[in-house]
Amino acid sequence: MSNIDLNLSIGGPQGGGIDTSSNLISRAFASSGYNVLGVREFHSNIKGRHSYVHLRIREERPRSLKYPLDFLVALDPDTIFEHLEDVATGTVVLYDTNDEKAELAQARMIMRDTAKRINSTLQENKLELNVKGALALMKNRGAKIMGIPFSKVLEGTELDGPATRYYNVLGASLTLSIIGLDQKFTRDSLKHIFGNKEKVIALNVKVVDAAYKYCKENGLAGNTLPDMDAAPRMLLTGNDGAALGKIMGGLRFQTYYPITPASDESSILEEHEDIKWLSNENEKLSSGGVTVVQTEDELSAITMAEGAAITGARSATATSGPGFSLMAEAISFAGIDEIPVVITFYQRGGPSTGLPTRNGQADLMFALNTGHGEFPKMVISSGDVEECIYDSMKALNYAQRYQLPVIHLIDKNLANTSDFVPEIDTKKIKVEQSLRTENKTDFKRYTLDTKNGISPMGLFGKDIFWMTGDEHDELGHVTEDPIIRDRMMEKRFTKLKVADEEIPDEDKVQVYGNKNAKVTFITWGSQKGVILDSIDVLKAKGIDANLLYLKMFEPFPSKFVDKFLKKAGTIIDVESNMTGQAAKVIRMNTGFEVTNFILKYNGRHITEDELVSATADIVSKKKKIVVLENGA
Amino acid sequence: MAHNFRSDVAIDWCPGCGDFGIVTGLTQALTELNYGPNDVVAVSGIGCSGKTPHYLNIAGIHTLHGRSIPYATGVKLANPKLKVIVTSGDGDMLSIGAGHFVAEGRRNTGLTIILYDNEVYGLTKGQAAPTMALGEKTKGLTKPNVFGKVNPITMALSSGYSFVARGFSFDTKHLKDLVKKAITHEGSSFIDVLQPCPTYNNINTMEWYRGKVYKLDDEKTWDPVVLPETSAEAANEKFTNAYKRGLEWDDKIPIGVFYDNRAIPSFVKRIAEYIPDYLKNPPAEQIVAGADGYTNVDPFKTFADRVI
Repeated sequence: MSNIDLNLSIGGPQGGGIDTSSNLISRAFASSGYNVLGVREFHSNIKGRHSYVHLRIREERPRSLKYPLDFLVALDPDTIFEHLEDVATGTVVLYDTNDEKAELAQARMIMRDTAKRINSTLQENKLELNVKGALALMKNRGAKIMGIPFSKVLEGTELDGPATRYYNVLGASLTLSIIGLDQKFTRDSLKHIFGNKEKVIALNVKVVDAAYKYCKENGLAGNTLPDMDAAPRMLLTGNDGAALGKIMGGLRFQTYYPITPASDESSILEEHEDIKWLSNENEKLSSGGVTVVQTEDELSAITMAEGAAITGARSATATSGPGFSLMAEAISFAGIDEIPVVITFYQRGGPSTGLPTRNGQADLMFALNTGHGEFPKMVISSGDVEECIYDSMKALNYAQRYQLPVIHLIDKNLANTSDFVPEIDTKKIKVEQSLRTENKTDFKRYTLDTKNGISPMGLFGKDIFWMTGDEHDELGHVTEDPIIRDRMMEKRFTKLKVADEEIPDEDKVQVYGNKNAKVTFITWGSQKGVILDSIDVLKAKGIDANLLYLKMFEPFPSKFVDKFLKKAGTIIDVESNMTGQAAKVIRMNTGFEVTNFILKYNGRHITEDELVSATADIVSKKKKIVVLENGA
Repeated sequence: MAHNFRSDVAIDWCPGCGDFGIVTGLTQALTELNYGPNDVVAVSGIGCSGKTPHYLNIAGIHTLHGRSIPYATGVKLANPKLKVIVTSGDGDMLSIGAGHFVAEGRRNTGLTIILYDNEVYGLTKGQAAPTMALGEKTKGLTKPNVFGKVNPITMALSSGYSFVARGFSFDTKHLKDLVKKAITHEGSSFIDVLQPCPTYNNINTMEWYRGKVYKLDDEKTWDPVVLPETSAEAANEKFTNAYKRGLEWDDKIPIGVFYDNRAIPSFVKRIAEYIPDYLKNPPAEQIVAGADGYTNVDPFKTFADRVI
């Protein structure tokens, strides 16, 4: 079993420590040299409702997740009910035998309609409406049912507090033992997870030992997996990546109002606020940190970030759809006043509060069209954790270089994806600074004497100049003069034209795979990984496909996209929304109409199996639109 | 030569507007405090008051309706060395921007907030502002005001402002002194300035105010200052006194300093407690790239907890 490719979900009640379970499994495999990709799914709830992590473990880095599962680890009855459809022949279902007696009718934390559906499925199969019935169905479907009496495993182990408190670590440890991961890696991982909490580590080591002992004694332990060589890597989520990229990119001021799935980024920045940087003069490490401010609302978040930006601090905010809606007016202000500010926009399922903890990509058109009036802004998008790092640096650079608001789109799926990043290239992107003024007297902040529309920036504290949301003259004072109005509009839009010319195509759009493939996928954001994995699978099935991957929507690489699509074969647009927004943007910019769609809007991540099968439906069955429905 | 704090932009407020007195009081205060042109910046919202920064010969930003406080907070936190003055109207600050007004009391960033209080929305033809009393009918209204009023003084006190005062724009000398105290106060300071709108408020006129205002400072026993060493009991009494005076309105209207608490640390100080060298290297002044132009932060050291 050296060439492993495992899909594993571990689920339990929200608040029951699923993050720790997931972390333990990921870090243990990391220590052993493997790669793990994970996505966290949860309800808008603090305690009680079903949450799970879907992990894929491989030697080579996984880029996507796949059903059916190889392992389903249930820390509670709800997990067994909720993941009925995720198992198939060979899936190992590991659960606590104590949960066998649980009735579906008592599982009140399962959404009403989900419970009804499970109920019907069990009834159709003439099975009991309880965990036993659900397990029987899984068994009928070929799963290996592995009941373990959790309380018995921990019998005789001296713990602090009730044994159930350790079930998250127990479930993960049993799984690792059964898969065959060396016990030392599992034990070591606890140190990473619990840091310097010696007592907690000691208690959990006992749990790990008990799990491994139980598996060994009961013939469940897997053959020990070989160690892989791996250089040090970083375990990062999309939120982590964006935070790290911002720090590397010179961010020193961030504002936010709490919102899922964006505020984790700000919390991560706060955890790492005391950064040390090398000062030029004496090559000594200095401090001063990243100032992170939790504001009273998103109106304040964006405007406070803009206020900081005009002092010269590199400044940003992070939000999701509802918060971004409130920011529109101030983004327009940054447009007319040419303020370098970055808005990291974590999309989730809308409209309105929508699916607050689930994935969505329905805000592309909104980001492009946000703010009243016409003004230049840039819109870029990231599709994996590394892109989150480098794109965050680029976003700050673009904002500085062109003095405008930059909207950086990330989606919930990516925000909560944990990935192993092998290396971070600190010499990949230079940290740019806006053009500044040398002329101290009669400084014209908005001088029209510029070919590329970029006027030297003044800084509060260094220069005297004015800014206003009104149309303004070169000094920054209010004007309604018709001629100046025209020149100012033109100056501002020149910057966007210049950005389009200066930024190379590869920073805007990328092609993966064989250029002349018969099938072309179009996508943006977090589907990148699943499409790349699917291209490999499709190739084995005789379908040659490539990917046109969009990274910048404003300015849009119209010529490149138009030229590429005109030569393409079957074109399929893949997005996590209902209306195919990227395809609309393509048509708006190039006139080219995309007619095949694979779409998903149930808030769950797209998996490899469903994408491969949907592609086959379009290629061979000539379907036009396939809506994907995987996911618990 | 001292810096001339008035810019050369022509003021287009109505003749007789109370706003003129604020610009006079403010520029005189800045001159007397001997500030240089780059020591102070002005931030405003929308409306007649919003035009103020253009009339001042210092860096200024005329922001969005209601958002002067968060813009100003961003400026101050990124560069705490700056004195940041906020000039906004009653509608701007207590209606559309009311959330920020309250939040700023909690933050106590260190802003100097000047409220242009004339009870009407002048620039949009005289609608009722949140400071207008219920049932009052100024000439821009089609029927008497159907809303109750907020009290800027007690609202500022309840929100946590550490310096709360009121001035009258037709007593510029008194106003100038208040502004000086407010600017030199370390936390956030708030001055409610009564500034009659001669065009749309035919009730609360200059004459109306002249007959009612009296100065708190004229009372020998009036002492609004709370110091770190002031006892909790005494501090509480000063707050209660300020609140009580804040409620006076109908017959006589107090102006002067209601409350001056120097014991509450500013937000700037609170940040400096957690971020070493924040005051030495604030966000505006940090070096963000090495000599080679690349990042000067080591990602592996910064995110050491994520290394596997």
